[in-house]
Amino acid sequence: MTSHTIGKSAVTDHAVPASLDALGQGQTVLRVDRLGKIFGDQNPSAVAHTGPDVGTEKSPDGNSVVAAWDVSFDVAAGEAFGVIGESGSGKSTVMRAIAGDHSSTAGSVWMQRRDGSTVDLLTMTASERRALRVDELSVVYQDAAEGLDLGVTAGGNVADRLTAAGWRNFGQIRERAAELLGRTEVPLERMDDLVQTFSGGMRQRVQLARALANRPPIVLLDEPTTGLDASVAAGVLDLIRSLLEELGIAAVVVSHDFAVIEMLTTRCMVMQHGRVVEQGLTDQLFEDPQAPYTQRLVAAARA
Amino acid sequence: MTPPPNDLMTATQATIEPDKTGNQQLDDGGAVLSVRGLHKHFVLHNVDGRRVEGLNGIDLDVRAGEHIALAGSSGAGKSTLLKCIYRTYLPSAGTVTLRSPDGPVELTGLADAKLAAIRGREFGYVSQFLRAEPRRGALDIVARAGIARGMDRDTATEAAAISLRRLHLDESLWDVFASVLSGGEKQRVNLAAGTISPPQLLLLDEPVSALDPANREAALALIADLTATGVAVLAVFHDLDAMDRLASRVVVMRSGRIIESGPPDQVLHHLEGVAR
Repeated sequence: MTSHTIGKSAVTDHAVPASLDALGQGQTVLRVDRLGKIFGDQNPSAVAHTGPDVGTEKSPDGNSVVAAWDVSFDVAAGEAFGVIGESGSGKSTVMRAIAGDHSSTAGSVWMQRRDGSTVDLLTMTASERRALRVDELSVVYQDAAEGLDLGVTAGGNVADRLTAAGWRNFGQIRERAAELLGRTEVPLERMDDLVQTFSGGMRQRVQLARALANRPPIVLLDEPTTGLDASVAAGVLDLIRSLLEELGIAAVVVSHDFAVIEMLTTRCMVMQHGRVVEQGLTDQLFEDPQAPYTQRLVAAARA
Repeated sequence: MTPPPNDLMTATQATIEPDKTGNQQLDDGGAVLSVRGLHKHFVLHNVDGRRVEGLNGIDLDVRAGEHIALAGSSGAGKSTLLKCIYRTYLPSAGTVTLRSPDGPVELTGLADAKLAAIRGREFGYVSQFLRAEPRRGALDIVARAGIARGMDRDTATEAAAISLRRLHLDESLWDVFASVLSGGEKQRVNLAAGTISPPQLLLLDEPVSALDPANREAALALIADLTATGVAVLAVFHDLDAMDRLASRVVVMRSGRIIESGPPDQVLHHLEGVAR
């Protein structure tokens, strides 16, 4: 057991370097380490009785759901990492744990901050997290209602992030908001319309503009195109890919859709019943899946 | 699983004089790519755990400026070999060693993130099909490939234009979304993107299969130039004529093994009707 003092929180769980290891050509900006989340009774013995081998994430007594366990992966600067799985696999639990939308039972989520320091997101206070979400870690949700205030204009939703980051000049804020919405292909004449009057695809574009407003080094994308018409989804997907590439943003992309993972990510992992069943290069995982479950998934997706 | 033959493993340490007959040469010294004892089998868990053999012990070197054409009937393992080298397939045993500026890199055991970082830059894979973003133009796709290999935007755009012009892609199509192009047009965009500012090693998997004779001619000339400028090429073509014109050596595969290797004029004449 070693102790590291990182920011305001003392971490005694396990050793992690003050700066994350260099990985490949880039620097690691996010390290999820043995992350676990149990809903209901926090009964550790539930872990042994759940998972792919047992075929469920629910404990035998029915009082605990092991939504995610022993989940580890690294993301390098500018890299997109995919998490794929069916409903109930735990992929959204992982995303929400990183985002801080719920507490976690076990593990750490290390993030490299802009100033070079390293923090465990799981030990941060709510206000520290809010600050982080302004310009260092953004989330794009499947449901735009989670990521946007639907009762506010498109421009207002983006401007809100800019003022949170300290922008004060109204004219500059408006100019920057218009630029961002233009970038995500929201027609300028709709900038002052309430988001609730927008279509699903257009709402996702506003979410993207808001999420990228302060150029965060990391963005989390949770089923960013699920629920959109196929042609609209293709456009949004293409936009996401261009933005990630051009801005050099690292991303964690969570989706049940192979096409989304294939188009956006270079590495990914497959989850089932709360556990990681396979991790690899995205093309390898789709062309030469190793685990029986992944082989079934790929066969079904290709059919 | 058959273990890789030991005599070939020890041969990796030695420098063997180039064999004038063009027969199997194993020489790690000057090779850009060295494959040793490469095996691949697939386990189909959902078909009663059936085991399908892909490669049964491949030993192969590719040197700078050498073009090796893989011949053999469908199912012989040609594409499987390319995919195992690129690691789109996970090799079951054996080694794949790539020369790199930082010394030799063994690819089969390399961490995913490290492999992803050198793919495209130090070795490339050109498939039959263009896999590009649906809403991007041909010139943009090719130029971006150049930028990804370290060219600046202007140089990359210029090189992309030269390459597309050389492959006879009508200039009016350069800014049209590549997704709406014909199969042959897409294939030329793909070849241009794969060969711009080429890495030291290129794996080509039927890169001219969809081209008509005139365009095919231009594409083959472009591939020949790669070799002339020192790029190591390992290629699969479905026609013997392409192999005859491009290959410095033809390697014949059957059932996941190399059964013959030599210069095109020695190997190809008795392959008619056998290899394809």
